[in-house]
Order: sequence, then C-alpha cells, then structure tokens
Amino acid sequence: MTATEKLKKIYGERPKRTRELKEEGRKIAGYFCCFVPEEILSAFDLVPFRLQGNPKDPVDQADAFIEPMACPFARSCFNQALKGNYDFLDAFIAPHSCDTIDRLSNIWFHNRPVSFNHLLNVPHMRERGAEEFFRSELNYLVKCLEEWTGKKLVLEKLRETIRLSNKKRALLRNLYELRKKDPPPVSGAEMLEVLVAGMGIPVPEYVNLLTQYVEEVKSREVKSISLRPRLFLWGNAIDDSTFVQLVEHSGTWVVMDDLCTGSRSFWEDVPETSDPMEGLARRYLNVPCPRSNYPRTGHREVDLESRFGYVGAFVSSWKVGGAILYLIRYCDTCELEGPDLKDYLNKKGIPVLMLEDDYSLTTLGQLRTRVQAFVEMITGVV
Amino acid sequence: MGGGHLLPVKRWLGLDLGASFVKAALLSDGRLIDGFILPVSGRYREVVAQILETIETSDLAGMGITGVGVEGVDLSAPRFSEVAAHARGVNLFFPHVKTVIDIGGQFTRVVRVGPGGKVLDFIISEKCATGSGRFLQIMARILHVDIEELGRLSFEATQPVEFSTNCAVFAESEAISRLAEGAKPADIVAGVHHAMAAKVEMLMKRINWEPPVAVVGGGGQDKGLIRAVEKKLQIEVVVPPQPIITAALGAASLASLDVTSRARDYGADF
Repeated sequence: MTATEKLKKIYGERPKRTRELKEEGRKIAGYFCCFVPEEILSAFDLVPFRLQGNPKDPVDQADAFIEPMACPFARSCFNQALKGNYDFLDAFIAPHSCDTIDRLSNIWFHNRPVSFNHLLNVPHMRERGAEEFFRSELNYLVKCLEEWTGKKLVLEKLRETIRLSNKKRALLRNLYELRKKDPPPVSGAEMLEVLVAGMGIPVPEYVNLLTQYVEEVKSREVKSISLRPRLFLWGNAIDDSTFVQLVEHSGTWVVMDDLCTGSRSFWEDVPETSDPMEGLARRYLNVPCPRSNYPRTGHREVDLESRFGYVGAFVSSWKVGGAILYLIRYCDTCELEGPDLKDYLNKKGIPVLMLEDDYSLTTLGQLRTRVQAFVEMITGVV
Repeated sequence: MGGGHLLPVKRWLGLDLGASFVKAALLSDGRLIDGFILPVSGRYREVVAQILETIETSDLAGMGITGVGVEGVDLSAPRFSEVAAHARGVNLFFPHVKTVIDIGGQFTRVVRVGPGGKVLDFIISEKCATGSGRFLQIMARILHVDIEELGRLSFEATQPVEFSTNCAVFAESEAISRLAEGAKPADIVAGVHHAMAAKVEMLMKRINWEPPVAVVGGGGQDKGLIRAVEKKLQIEVVVPPQPIITAALGAASLASLDVTSRARDYGADF
C-alpha cells in the first residue's frame, strides 16, 4: 500500500488507528485546539489525539448539557464523547483557548471524566509577560503528568520529541510548498485529509508516512495548465474534507489556508532553546488563533499588518485569486475578526466570500449556491 | 439574390427553481416574450415536466437554469447561481442599476452589478426568515389575508408596530399578542415591512451599495415592502414588470451568451 493510500485509510477510518494503539497498550491523550504541546505528551509516551467532531452525525445528546446556541463544533465533539466514541482516552487536556472550550471542558470533566483531566491556562495577550506566565502553566502541566504517570520528565527526551515534531512540520511545509504549482499536485481536500490523519497517531509513525508521501506527491504527473482560480481558506476547525471538496468541485483549487486544522497547527517550528520549556511556551503562545490578542499601536493599517501580515504573505506567495472565510456559527472570535480580515484582503485586491456554517453537512446546498456565485464572480464567466 | 427573408428569431428558456415557486421565462432577441410561475413543494421534476409540455420546445435555441432546486432535476442545461441570474435579468430591463435586492421565499440577496450585468459583489442572508418572503407568508397566515393583500393593507397603517425581536418565529408570537391587545392588522403588516427593510439595509451596508437600486423576487410585488425599503434607504427604487421572474430571464440570457463553454474550462461541475 502506498503512503497516499495508507493516509487516506487512516483518515477515512479514524479513530480506528488510535483504538488499535490503545489495544497495543499505548495511552491516549486527547486535547483540543493548537495550544497543547504535543511534544510534552510524546515525551511521556502518550499518543496525542486532537479531538474532533463529526459533522455527519447530528448532535442528539449534547443539548441536554449545553445550550444549542453554543459553538456547534464543541457540541459535536462532546456529543461524540457522550456516545462513547472517545472511550479510548486516558487523558484529556483542554486549553483555555476560547470560553467555549474552557467551559465545555468543565462540563466534560464532570460528566465524562477520564483518568487524567487537565485545564491548561493560556493567556490571551501575545507578549513577553504572557510567555513567562504560559511557561509556568506548561511546567504545571508537566508536574501533573509526572504525578499521574509516576514518571519524571526526561529533558533530553523532550528535546528529541521537539526535534521530531519540527521534522513533521518541515515535511508539511514542504507539501504546502508543492501546492504553489499550478495546478497543485495535491488538492486542498486531500491535504486536509492527510493533516487530519496525522492528528491521532504517534508523531514518529506520521513522520514516516509523510516522508514517503512527499516523494509520492513529487512524482505525480501534473496535468496541463489550469484555468481554475486558486483560493485561500480561513477559519477554525475543518476536520472533514466534504466542504473543501465542494469548493474544489465548483471549479477551484484550495491552495493555501489559515485553519487550526491546517497551516496554523504546524507552520512555525518550536525553537530549540536551552530550556525546552522556553521554546515551547513561545511557539505555542504565538499560534495566530483569533481568540488571542496582540499588542496594538492604535494605527489601523499597522495593526492589521501585524495581525494578518502572514496571511498577506501566504496569498501573494501562493498566487491566490480569492479567499473564503469559513466561520463556524457562534464562534465569536472568528465572527468578530472576520470583517477585519475581509477588509485587509480586499485592500490587497483579493475578493472575499464570508460563509457561516453550523458544522453540519445538512447545509451543503446553501453553501454550494454561495460558492458557485463567488466562483462565477471571480472567474468572470458570467 | 434580393428579397431577403426574415430569419426565425431564436427563443431561449430560463428556469428558476426557487424555494416557493418555479419561474419560467422565454427570451427572444434580448426581450422577455413570455413568463409564468408555478407553485412547487419540492416536486421540481414534475413541475419542470409540466412547463416543458406547455411551451413549444421544438424551436428552442437553448435553456439555462438556476435556483435552489437545480440539484433536484436532471436537465442537461447550464446552471447559473441566482446571484448571476438576477444581475443579468435586471440588467436587461435597467442597464444603469448598480445594486439589486432580491427578496425571495427563503433568502434575501443583495448583488452589486457592474457594466453588462457582471456581478461585482454579493451577500446572501443567513438562515433567518426575518429578511425573507417567508416572514410575509407567516404574517399573512396569522392575519388571515392573502399575501397579495399585504402591500395594500400596510398603506392603512396609522401606528406601525415595532417588533422587539429579529426572529420571524418569535415575531409570530409577538404579532399574535399585539393582535390580542387590539393592534390593527394594518399596523402589524407595516411593522413587518419595517423589520424586513431594516434587515435589507444591513445587508446593503455590508457590501457598500450604490444607487440606482432595483428590487426583484416575490418581495418586489409587495408595494408596502417597497415603500419601507425606499424609506430606509432614502431613495426611490425601480421594480421590473414581473419581478418574480427576473432570475429565470437572466438564466435564459446567460445561456444565450454561451458562457458555459468557458465555465467548463475552469473544470466547474455545476
């Protein structure tokens, strides 16, 4: 089986591979968002498992615990837990990423506790003082994990897991680099599946698969020139490829993203500092999630550039002709930042389609009409 | 040579498979020559078959389709978004219009239109009935009046009711309690029109609308709603003769331009 097929299988059957690892005696650590360092989990021999929802499975249990007007992604994740689909978890670590994840974790700890339950406090402001605070929170996470596992953290082992995770990041950046080609050798939907496949298996296993996969992608025959517009996708947790497929089937390529299941989760390396906790704190605090804040000057143009400059670099380097901002309904941080990003991209001449969705595949028809109209508009076919 | 004869003029059919109605328009030489409307309740195939039986199809040059129901029929015709279809349809009547408001049965769409009916930008209301024709249907039902009567009725209002909610479902119970308190139906209808116009204005502001403005869709037939929109925007709007079939007309026109061969080049499977 090729790595392409293996990754496709892991994605399609997820979390089957994670369950197998559990049966082999591994301990599984579930976590939310992009703020929990997988390096620390790996250093304790835990398998990091990024918690996901299931947009194909309507929320039928969670409403008894959470208001229906809460983040549909969070509700879907908790619904999976209530139905026993996450019974393989040994540890559950929730970062204070947004208020929804913070409060949901309390409900979760209380109603579906696992062996180790931990809330990781993540400061909102991306600046130096916050880095020190976050470092002590990471030290506290380590202390709690030491107590739970009965093992001391070996710093050399942590340095090793950092190096390995950075290797994974380099491979993923390499794949993104290949998508600069036109047409790209990897569609946006396939890329997302490859990323999600890696979110429930040990890092060494994923690195091996990715190493082969990159070679397979490089040897792909790329078809003749493409006329399709190249799109950039912004949003949070898209962990199912159906929506990206819909966008690409409308005659586009999704070539770049800023999603927390996409580039946001791996783009920056962890600096190899003498105290590894310092590098981890800096790297993870600076994840550009809309829930975070950053120091401002009060000059709108300057502040927009310091917030979205990396997006500006993405769209120009990947020759993007349009952007879709995919907002999950009731995600306040996204909904409040979306208009700023729209403004920023419009000023760069990039047309923007803002979509609001409720993390369910029942609304695809409505999304399709919007995407179709957007594609007609940016290609100028009508 | 000499004694030239007239070439038969080609006819193009446009179908708009909407949420409440299927609309058909026949276009010839850039003009609307016939249009009709049939109610639909999800039975798109049957209604389309009915339409194709009614009209003479042998001399049809082509057909274009649009609307939420396009997935439910297997016609080998080019598909266009409602946004592009409305922009094009309005452009045939009013080439100078820069912003089109479509108040449909399920959604409200605002489209900024450039030269030749090109779509410059658009916005579609989210899953919320307050800004759509569904709101009018709900109110017509609880007031026991025909939906066509709402416009006329609203002109009799003396103290339009202010709705304190933005949700059509809650507005229904609010309207019922106002009626119980003795509010006049006319005042309720005028209040509904104001609430809808406010929703439309928000969409307009979001995409930096410019005059002149046209209103189409079922909402374009409600004179009270048109008046409320004009008051909100502080301008006069134009409404084409049969505002409900504009998208069907636009689809026919886009089909006649043969833009689909270009769309195929992009690999679009719509």
